[in-house]
Amino acid sequence: MKVGDIAAGRAGDKGDTLDLTLVAYDAHGYEALTRLISAERAASALNRVVPGPVVRYELPDLLALKFVAPVALPGGVHASLRAGLHWQKAAIWLLLELELDGLEQ
Amino acid sequence: MASRRDDGGYSIGAGAGFAGDRIEPAVRMAESGEVDAIALECLAERTLINALRARRISAEGGYDPRLVRRFRPLLPHVARGCRVVTNLGAANPAAAGRAARRLALALGLPALRIAAVIGDDVLERVREVEWTQPIEDGEWIGAHAYLGLESIVAALADGADVVVTGRVADSSLVAAAPMQALGLEGQALAGALAVGHLLECGGQLTGGNLTEPGVPDLPAEALASLGYPVADIAPDGSATIRLLDGQPGRLNVVSSTLQLLYEVHDPHAYFTPDAVLDFTGIRLEATGHNRVRMSGARAAPRPERLKVIGFLARRGVIADVEIAYAGTGALARARLAADVLRLRLARELGLNDFLVDLVGVDSVLGAGSRPLVSEPPELRVHVSARCDDAEIAQAVEDEVYALTLSGPSGGSGLRSERRPRVESITGFLPRDQVVGRIEWANDR
Repeated sequence: MKVGDIAAGRAGDKGDTLDLTLVAYDAHGYEALTRLISAERAASALNRVVPGPVVRYELPDLLALKFVAPVALPGGVHASLRAGLHWQKAAIWLLLELELDGLEQ
Repeated sequence: MASRRDDGGYSIGAGAGFAGDRIEPAVRMAESGEVDAIALECLAERTLINALRARRISAEGGYDPRLVRRFRPLLPHVARGCRVVTNLGAANPAAAGRAARRLALALGLPALRIAAVIGDDVLERVREVEWTQPIEDGEWIGAHAYLGLESIVAALADGADVVVTGRVADSSLVAAAPMQALGLEGQALAGALAVGHLLECGGQLTGGNLTEPGVPDLPAEALASLGYPVADIAPDGSATIRLLDGQPGRLNVVSSTLQLLYEVHDPHAYFTPDAVLDFTGIRLEATGHNRVRMSGARAAPRPERLKVIGFLARRGVIADVEIAYAGTGALARARLAADVLRLRLARELGLNDFLVDLVGVDSVLGAGSRPLVSEPPELRVHVSARCDDAEIAQAVEDEVYALTLSGPSGGSGLRSERRPRVESITGFLPRDQVVGRIEWANDR
């Protein structure tokens, strides 16, 4: 089972910062995300593509987690060498594809 | 102007979420007669860079070139009482106001009162800005403070039917009209600003850019005519977010939560010029088909510093070039071409700041892409290189095109573009150093 099987997500940016959100569908899913997708685990997924640390924010009332990577996009998305513009919207899949290994069915 | 609603609330729609957004969502909102005002968010970092370039070429340029196309179908509805607030003034709001005025006259609507909000341009004070990183080489092509809703509210209170601005915080752009009509303050204003943040990306709240687990994506017919969101804001700052009846889309608690938290960084402290918003106490509940009720936004007082976005042009350009391979063995030939390009760019052109990848394999997520499980029938080799000048960019483009004669067989489908090397830098100015002002396009 992957994160994307129990949560929806969206990625955005502001300047150098990559900003990702996951929203779980129920409290059980939120608890699993909180337990299994630490800031460090998110960072190791994101660091395959972008540099720097990740800060995690927990929003239990909204069943949501935010992952913010403040130096991931040096110079902003327009300074990137990636094909075309705004590749960062796809970055959410780096989190949605993470395996939820420890999740009991 | 009083609200059209009889429950003391105010209805505002988000008719566009970026400069190139569709025209008709706003027109459908205006036609519905259900909204008191429409906000058109049309200004992102890239759009502002383009506008700054246009302003250099012409003193009357620098506002969004789509202004006439957007306003032509809307202004007759404005004349019937639906106000429009928009940042498509971009780098030249005063000129945008004059252009809107000319259009209003051409449409036989001379009574429309059109105001421009200026004062966000702080390029002349770029050295006073406290930048968040050291500034090395480069030329400032623009610097804009994020204004709050103050000047928009003043223009509306003074009878403006249309307000065009430059860089204004997106949430403030949306919240200004309800704030003015309902006299919102404190936690009620926090609600309107949270609504503003929810709405400012238009279709991204109503089913666009949305994949939900176990739920099919919206079909093409729905995405092709996606309805944009409307908020009915109550005097206490709570709101019902909805799609107009019959408009296709998906507006539920999940899509709303994703958009509420979109790009906010710390959800305890989302800085806008008008308040520091705390989203952690917000409740979102479905109250019907494509209807979500939002309440519980909180705010701390407005910050003493305003955010500034600066655009620093570095020397040279980014050359972005592609060549396609198709047919049997396309993957191997594309990889071969990529290797040839790496050799040529490094060895013959002496470049070290470039990227070669395969569109269809790893050009978007790079090393984070899923592994290839089967050979694509066709794919594109992509190269981007930071080049010191146009001559080197030309040489990079030529290297890719030369593969048609001297590379693997069947190289085709060539395309190339050049992007200026402009970096976005964030900074801050004390609030009292930035003064928003109103410039009326009408004789008054």
